Amino acid sequence: MAIKKEAKRAIEAIVGKDYITDDPVICEGYRAGPGGYECGLGYERVMTRVPGAVCMPRTTEEVQLIVKVCNRYDVPYVPYSTGFYGPRSHCHMEDELLIDLKRMNHFEIDERHFFIVVGPGVIYSPIQQECFNKGAYVVIGGGGAQASAIANLIGDGWSPLSHRIGLPHRRILGTELVLPDGELVKMGSLAVSDDPFWGEGIGPDLRGLLRGYTGLRGCLGIVTKMAIKTLPFQPEPLVPTGISPTTALELPQNRIKWLNYQLPSKEAQVKAMYEIAKAEIAGAVTKVPLFWRAIAKAESKEEFWELWGKENEDTIRNFHLIRVLLIGYTSEEQMKYDEAILNDIMQELGGVPRRTRPTDESWLKNADSAGMWLMCGSYVSVDYVIESLSQATVHGEYYAELKRGYTPPLMPDYGDPGWFQSFELGHQGYSEFLIYWDQDEDTDPVDHFYVETSKMNIRERFYTALLGPHQPLYLTGPKYGPNYHEWLLKIKEAFDPKWVCHPPVPLAHDAFVDRAPWMKPIKDWEAPETLPVPEKRRR
Amino acid sequence: MRVPKGKLSLDVTDMNNFLYDMTRCIKCKGCYWVDHIYMPGIRFSTRCPSMTWKQWDSYGAPGKMRIGVALAEGKIGFTDTLLEILYACTLCGACDVGCKRNLDLEIELALESLRIRAVKEGFGPLPAHKKVAENIMNRHNHFGAPNENRRKWITKDIKVEDKADTLYFVGCSSSFVTTEIALSTARLLNGLNVPFTLLDDEWCCGNVLYSVGMFPEAKAIAERNVEAVRKKGVKSVVVSCAEGYRMWKVDYPKMLNIKTEELGFEVRHILEVLEEALKEGKLSLRRPQEVRFTYHDACSVSRLCDPWSPWNGERGWMGTVSPPLKRRRGQAGLYFQARNLLKGIPKATFVEMPRTRENAFCCGAGRGTKVAFPEFSSFSAANRIEEVMEVGAEVLVTACPWCKENFKESLKGKETGIKVLDITEFVLSSLES
Repeated sequence: MAIKKEAKRAIEAIVGKDYITDDPVICEGYRAGPGGYECGLGYERVMTRVPGAVCMPRTTEEVQLIVKVCNRYDVPYVPYSTGFYGPRSHCHMEDELLIDLKRMNHFEIDERHFFIVVGPGVIYSPIQQECFNKGAYVVIGGGGAQASAIANLIGDGWSPLSHRIGLPHRRILGTELVLPDGELVKMGSLAVSDDPFWGEGIGPDLRGLLRGYTGLRGCLGIVTKMAIKTLPFQPEPLVPTGISPTTALELPQNRIKWLNYQLPSKEAQVKAMYEIAKAEIAGAVTKVPLFWRAIAKAESKEEFWELWGKENEDTIRNFHLIRVLLIGYTSEEQMKYDEAILNDIMQELGGVPRRTRPTDESWLKNADSAGMWLMCGSYVSVDYVIESLSQATVHGEYYAELKRGYTPPLMPDYGDPGWFQSFELGHQGYSEFLIYWDQDEDTDPVDHFYVETSKMNIRERFYTALLGPHQPLYLTGPKYGPNYHEWLLKIKEAFDPKWVCHPPVPLAHDAFVDRAPWMKPIKDWEAPETLPVPEKRRR
Repeated sequence: MRVPKGKLSLDVTDMNNFLYDMTRCIKCKGCYWVDHIYMPGIRFSTRCPSMTWKQWDSYGAPGKMRIGVALAEGKIGFTDTLLEILYACTLCGACDVGCKRNLDLEIELALESLRIRAVKEGFGPLPAHKKVAENIMNRHNHFGAPNENRRKWITKDIKVEDKADTLYFVGCSSSFVTTEIALSTARLLNGLNVPFTLLDDEWCCGNVLYSVGMFPEAKAIAERNVEAVRKKGVKSVVVSCAEGYRMWKVDYPKMLNIKTEELGFEVRHILEVLEEALKEGKLSLRRPQEVRFTYHDACSVSRLCDPWSPWNGERGWMGTVSPPLKRRRGQAGLYFQARNLLKGIPKATFVEMPRTRENAFCCGAGRGTKVAFPEFSSFSAANRIEEVMEVGAEVLVTACPWCKENFKESLKGKETGIKVLDITEFVLSSLES
């Protein structure tokens, strides 16, 4: 497998011989699975391919030229920053070019105006540390310490630290996007000057090309530069302690601390989140799934199962813990004031303080830990919902109920309704449902469950994040729109008429359902017999 | 690929023992980047020398795990590129401790097993390794020097006993090249009144043989060396070489299928001996050293030296194993011992580099890498030297002769003013007389 020789030669002329290869062994290293986010499932096995070639550009100009070569020689390509986001960010076609963006690691920080500018190769934890050094912090979503900040924000962007600024697109400022044909679009104030401070520009907001509720998995071009909003932080250093795997940031308790409270009911828990938000205190307010606590306590996979085995439906039902991160942004006095308010709220609602470590293990510089894979070896967040605080919890309960029918092979979690937290100072509630399984078991029911969640959301009229390229477009499009699928395909056609950019996304999940025989029994929606993808992009 | 459940062990001669680990790599790249807690910022943010060097994912653990799976499935075979990917790697363990921060996969053992497989199938090791291997097997030392010259470093002032509770295993580098380390070590032991003996006919520890995948040859040396020490009837073996320390403490027991404590003697690096002496008041560091210095954690006295225990068991539901497996996560590294010792030197200013302890960036010399990929070794050393310069250190202290030599070489011709010293030299020069 390889890309066309002429295309390879042309790309070699652009990036240099050291930065393009079609060596099958090197390409094998870019395979999506067998492990990883959403890996070990049918989608990964059926839809992903080993790249025909891989290249590593250094500049936006090089990316533009590469993309133009791909158009000229009809070589499909996929942008790839760190490769963490599972099969959907890997090659789906034979003889496809994978454009590895890790060399595009430009970073600058503007401390006066509170933003950073990064390339797609820059990951979360170094950014956060640079921000800390300058009295700021950044809110980049789940995906973990080692995920690309740009990929994270255009694909997802929901973060444990979103209590104050939740909506990801509010953090995306001036941005450069190389369109599928190689043309460069500068968004926000970058369109008119070198200053990327404004995300909004003159004319329509083109950030819609990058993402809607969530992202388009790289099928509408390549982001090569992005300015990202930062927020003022407190000034004390957070001191790293411990030896791996038990490392943590020691928090200066006079300026930043986590506090845990057990509430008497779900209603009290939600009310507490509202009250905290109303008082405009805290940097994070969250309720984590109980099994995350078991992960944090366990020293090994085996110990996790020992701990988790002691839980049952009742303990889950009565688990109303809330974690609050207090930050003395302006002063110690503010911190004391915030803590006093928090205590008042908790006293009023019957919140009982629980033991809390004076450290942070994984939230401030990590966002979402790779430890999610510890207990089963396979994981995907099957959905996110942004709702009101009181309604977001309902979503998780529906998921938990649906999941019962698929457990096993899914991990037994006794009806845990998932992760739930406050966004945008309580104006939004965020709910995320996560599933775990052993990929060495029969995973077909997991593939079914994934699609069945969409049907459930349609049935229950939940408006969810994982639509578009995450689910069969012909299943969700007519129900949420009723024609958003048609518009999405028109946009794809307009910007990428050759379907050269990461095909067959956004119809990849439709293609998967068509190709995987075990998906046939659950396909009960209408779709064209032949997907509207150019013939040469169908396999 | 679905990995069958059932019996498995930590036997590195069978790659299939690590298929589960290879198939569960999630590309989080915690192996490549510094632990997020210790992440210093944009500069010095990676800890995998191989992937930092070539940049392709395939040179990092995520790529290697996928390549391992493809090999097991017969989708690819050994090629020159594959051999470069396997061997242009110092097996420094950064990926292993990085992975064990979250996933607890056996990355280091998987990498070792891949090399053993390459040798078994007749593709490995590389020609440069074979030359060293011949030296070791025919002349019993890394360099192919006459082995009878091993004791030439001994000066008249050094007192070596015929019989003692402590045996100093000098190692090839300090016997023939970095003899100043052997001298400092011996003088320190003499000064501390720790009587020591040497092996009558010391042979190479076999580090390169084991590291490049020549398991039977390395095992034969392990058997010979362990037997020779047992015959001496000593209570402890002291080494001044980090690679030797790891071989004696970890890889010998691994090859012999015994626990480290079943060797019949204790294995100690000289820095442990010195730190203990300092704690007990037997070592008096009184001569001031007005110098700003930093310490490089050699991989084999840090993340790679947790003691070994054989394990046989079964993998079952959700990948859990039974009986319980105590995973080696690099926590037994001599991180604090080295720092306690060095911080005791009067007037010397100790500064940490951005990447320390289990996050340290390997010098690039170890595990047979330098002989086969000198360019890569230089790259890695230069990357680390940048860090030394970043913190404004004048002296770089390490606890491994191979690190010392590689750093020195990297500094050759550059006017950095940086001096590289072994920990024994630095400590010795801080004694009153």
